[in-house]
Amino acid sequence: MRFLESAGRFAYFLVDFGRAMARRPPSLGAILEEAFRIGVRSLPVLLVIAVFVGTNLALQGANAFAQLGGQNLVGTFVAMAGVREMAPVIAAAMIAAKAGTEMASQIAVMRIREQIDALEVMAVNPLWYLVAPRLLGIVLVLPALTILAIFVTLLASWAVVVLQLGQSGAVFLAEARATVTGADLAFSMVKGLAFGVIIALVSCFFGFQAGRGPEGVGRATNAAVVTVSVAVVCLNYLLSVVFYG
Amino acid sequence: MMGTLALLGQIGLFAARIVQGVLTGRMPLSALAFHLHTVVIRCLAPVLAVVFPFGMVMALQGLQIFRMYGAERLLSPFVAAAIIRELSPVMASTLVAAQGGSSFAAELGAMRIKEEIDATDVMAVDSVAYHAAPRAIALVIACPLLNVLGCVSGILGGYVSAVWIQGEPAGTFWAALWDMTTPGDLWASVLKTTVFGAIIGLLSCFFGYHARGGAAGVGKAVNDTVVWSILVFIAANYLLTSAFFGGGTS
Repeated sequence: MRFLESAGRFAYFLVDFGRAMARRPPSLGAILEEAFRIGVRSLPVLLVIAVFVGTNLALQGANAFAQLGGQNLVGTFVAMAGVREMAPVIAAAMIAAKAGTEMASQIAVMRIREQIDALEVMAVNPLWYLVAPRLLGIVLVLPALTILAIFVTLLASWAVVVLQLGQSGAVFLAEARATVTGADLAFSMVKGLAFGVIIALVSCFFGFQAGRGPEGVGRATNAAVVTVSVAVVCLNYLLSVVFYG
Repeated sequence: MMGTLALLGQIGLFAARIVQGVLTGRMPLSALAFHLHTVVIRCLAPVLAVVFPFGMVMALQGLQIFRMYGAERLLSPFVAAAIIRELSPVMASTLVAAQGGSSFAAELGAMRIKEEIDATDVMAVDSVAYHAAPRAIALVIACPLLNVLGCVSGILGGYVSAVWIQGEPAGTFWAALWDMTTPGDLWASVLKTTVFGAIIGLLSCFFGYHARGGAAGVGKAVNDTVVWSILVFIAANYLLTSAFFGGGTS
C-alpha cells in the first residue's frame, strides 16, 4: 500500500514538473552550473570505479574462458560485458551514489528549513527552480561520463591482460575492436541518458518528500539511492532486450 | 595529505574501539540481533531485485557469445560463475551500502546531532560499543547472507532469461550448472562479502558517528558513506579476485 501511495505521489510530481517546464524553460546558466558540478565532482570517483570494473572483468573473463580453452575470448568478453552492460550500469550507480544522494539531501535540507516554502511564497515554482537544472544537467553529462567509463574500463582490462596475466595485448585489442561497434557505444550512451533521467527525477522526488528533522534528511537520501539503483538495473535489462535481444 | 592521514588514523582508532567493544562484551547482543534483523529485512528486496535482472542480462549477452561457437550448454556455468564470483558480491554489497550502510549512518548521524550520543557518554556507557559496534557487526554478518541469496536470485534470473525467454533446454541448464560450479567459488564469494561487509560497517558507523553540522551534516554523512564504502570495497574486490582467481589462468 505504501508503495502504491508513493508511486501515485511520484506520478503527481512528474505531472507538476512537466507543467512547470512547459510554462517556462529553465535558465541555461543554471543547467551548465549543475552539469559542471555533477560531471566534474563525480569524475574522480567514477574513474576509480571504472578502473576496478575493468580489472575484474579481465581477471574473471580470463579465468572463465581458460577452462574452456579460449584465451583470446577475453577481449570479446570484456568488450561485450564492459561496453554494453557493466560500464553504463556502474557509471549510473556511482552517479546515483554521489550526485543523486547529494541532490536528495540538499533538497531535503531545503524542505525542512522551509526554504522551499519560501520559494513558493516568492511565486517561484520550486520544481522549475530546483529540479529542472539538475535533470537537464545530469542528462547532459551522463552519456559523456558513460563513454569515459567505457574507455577507462577497457584500458584497465588491457593493463591486467598484458601486465598481470602476461597475455598478448595485440590479440586483446584486435578482439575488442572486432566486437565493439559504433552502435554499442551509441546504445550505451542512450542507456546513460535514460539512467540520468531516473537518477535526477527520483532523487529530487525523495528530497521533496523528506519528513521532519535530521532523520527525515537521512531517510530521504537513503530511499533515493536504493530506489534509483533498483530502477537503473531493471531498466538496464529492458533496454538490453530492446537493443540486443 | 596530512588531513587524509589523520582521517585514516581516526578510522583505525574507531575500528579498534569497535573490536574492543566486541571483545570486552560491552556490545549488547540484543542490539546486534535487532540491527541484524532490521538490515536483512531492509536489504533483502533490493538485493534480490538487483541481482535477478543482472542474471538475465548475463544470460542474454553470454548466449550471443556461446551461439557463435555452438557451445550453448556452457551458458549456465558461465552465468553461475559470473554471478557467484563477481556480480552478486559486488551488486549485493553495493545495495547493502546504499540501503543498510546509509540508513545506519543516518541513524547514528541523527543521534549525534540530537546529542543522544553525548548523553550516552555522560551516563558512562561506551557509546561506540553501545551504538556503533552492533550496527557494524550486523553488516559484517548480513552482507554474506544477502550475497548468497543474491546468488540464488541471479542464477534464477539467468534461468528465466535462457530457458523461458530464449528457449534453451532446462535439463542442460541445470545439469551443466551442477557439473561445473564448484563449492570453492561460493566460499570465495562468502569470504569476499564478509570483507566488504566489514568495510561498509566500519565506514558507515564512522561517518554517522562523526556527523556534525545539523541536518545537512546527516545528509553528508550518508553521502560519504555510500561513496566511500563502494569505492573501498571495489578496490578490495580487485585484490581479493586476484588472490582467488588470478593465478590459475595459464
